[in-house]
Amino acid sequence: MNFLESVQVAMNAIWVNKMRSLLTMLGIIIGISSVITVVTLGQGSQSAIDKEFEQFGTGRAYIGTNWRETLTQKDYLTTSDIEALKNAFGDKFDAIIQSLEESGKIKSKNEIIKVSLVGGNENYDKIEKVNMINGRYLTNSDVKAKRSVAIIDNETSMDIFGRSNVLGENIMVDMGYTKTSFVIVGLYEEPKSNLGNMGGGEKTPKIFVPVSTLAKVRGMGEHIWGIDLSIKKGIDANSTIEKMIKLLERRHGNDGENKYRSYTAEGEMESVNKVTGVITAVVSAIAAISLVVGGIGVMNIMLVSVTERTREIGIRKAIGAKRKDILLQFLVESIIVSGIGGVIGTLLGIGISIIIANFIKIPPSVSISTIAIAWIFSAGVGVFFGIYPANKASKLDPIEALRYE
Amino acid sequence: MIKIENLKKIYKNGSISVEALKGATIEVKPKEFVSIMGPSGSGKSTMMNILGCLDKPSEGKYELGGEKIEELSDGELAVIRNKKIGFVFQSFNLLPRISTLKNVELPMIYAGVPPKERHKRAIEALERVGLGDRIDHKSNELSGGQRQRVAIARSLVNNPDIILADEPTGNLDTKSGDEIMAIFQQLNNEGATIVMVTHEPEIAAHTKRIITFRDGEVVEDKLVENQIILGVSTVKE
Repeated sequence: MNFLESVQVAMNAIWVNKMRSLLTMLGIIIGISSVITVVTLGQGSQSAIDKEFEQFGTGRAYIGTNWRETLTQKDYLTTSDIEALKNAFGDKFDAIIQSLEESGKIKSKNEIIKVSLVGGNENYDKIEKVNMINGRYLTNSDVKAKRSVAIIDNETSMDIFGRSNVLGENIMVDMGYTKTSFVIVGLYEEPKSNLGNMGGGEKTPKIFVPVSTLAKVRGMGEHIWGIDLSIKKGIDANSTIEKMIKLLERRHGNDGENKYRSYTAEGEMESVNKVTGVITAVVSAIAAISLVVGGIGVMNIMLVSVTERTREIGIRKAIGAKRKDILLQFLVESIIVSGIGGVIGTLLGIGISIIIANFIKIPPSVSISTIAIAWIFSAGVGVFFGIYPANKASKLDPIEALRYE
Repeated sequence: MIKIENLKKIYKNGSISVEALKGATIEVKPKEFVSIMGPSGSGKSTMMNILGCLDKPSEGKYELGGEKIEELSDGELAVIRNKKIGFVFQSFNLLPRISTLKNVELPMIYAGVPPKERHKRAIEALERVGLGDRIDHKSNELSGGQRQRVAIARSLVNNPDIILADEPTGNLDTKSGDEIMAIFQQLNNEGATIVMVTHEPEIAAHTKRIITFRDGEVVEDKLVENQIILGVSTVKE
């Protein structure tokens, strides 16, 4: 008996016991669909997080002083440190700038809007990506001439002016100790962030101004708070930052004193990925348990089926079926039950995950590999849980089996 | 065709052992039509199981169509059952839920006969037993006599060396039983070797030779003097 004939015989047996076959499949369907759902949602949230980081800047890094240590005057970072880093590591980053931010308020007709002034330069969009929709970004001459120009987002523009064609308009920012007027030269698209929304907190709109201008307003000397960087793609952020800190320590004569701290987006991403990975693994394991339970259901029904068809097995053996023919017949039946259950379960799982993904607003990412694994797994369940009943059937004594009523 | 020498079968059940066959010696030549008779417990069923390669002897020699059966493995015995033996059982033993044609095709499926030829040979065999018009019926849609004729067709399809029939008329009324015996006689006339177990002397009288068993031994082996010949006409409907 060849394989195709075994499939025919098995399909016939499944069809004859429709209800029972369906109930048996149900275990597999539930198992496979929950595994698919969990894995798909896991991958979906993973890609959502990845996207979030990409928007934030995957190469982004920060070096600052470590406030946990006792700091003295000589430890503070200076603008000349930035120049030194530029000279030593110029090929490792796309952008470098002193880290400077200031909060302020803008009065509009109806309300007072809290904003955050961010010091930038012509390369700052490499560190914090923005989509310009109108006007221009900051330029080198803005920074050199310490111009009072600003780039604001369209939402804030709507809040202040009630319109978005605001290039050339002035905004007065109240920083508490002083008020400064900026000319709007560019408009960027307010970034849509899922993670920000998830937090539920109110977002403070960012207004980008030349870092030199902001430093002047704040009355900063040569000392700076920290350094923002964007490490080039393909360069290991962590080791580069480590080397940079070594250089800073040498410059300030505080080798190994742990006076500087750093953080990289890459590192953050790794730790977030670790957490989501663990969650996905744990939930997948729970889902896999239901698959095992489904498999036991298949084995149970196959055992019943073998007992029920003892006489048939006897007849088949009497007219020339070998052990392997009987084994194959029952094994194929169990694989088909699990396989069909696997297909239905896969479709159901994809459906459920698309619905849930829409609901919690993450992109559903059904990968071919997930489906392939689920399929192989369900067929594997069929083999694993089918082999014992099939073997039992194949070992029946034909005389005993023929006598069975 | 069949050579059996000093065949013994001992069943062991714990410490109790029962000798079902105590050294039987039988020879069946091609084209013979033999009845095996005897009361229950005489060892005739055990003999039948061994003849049919469903069971192995404890001692002795069994040669079927040149093959030394006692030396074969389980897998090789399955091939012998498939190709050299055609079984006809008392309770027909057809598979329910599948058609007459599929039932008759079954031995050829295990023999690896390609589908087209399988189909052709199955129809031929069904026509030989007068059921050429019943190929799509399921076994539960047939009468007992018709079922037994399907079983005979099934036993023929692989052109076996020998047809083994175990009380083939036991579950049938007299008329159907006569039909079955007529078919066996016709097949025998066409050259088939048939060995049949029965406990009814009237049925045995249709065969050419009767071997009688008692207590696991052959007690009588004689030719039938007045064989009842049935007209072939009873076969066709």
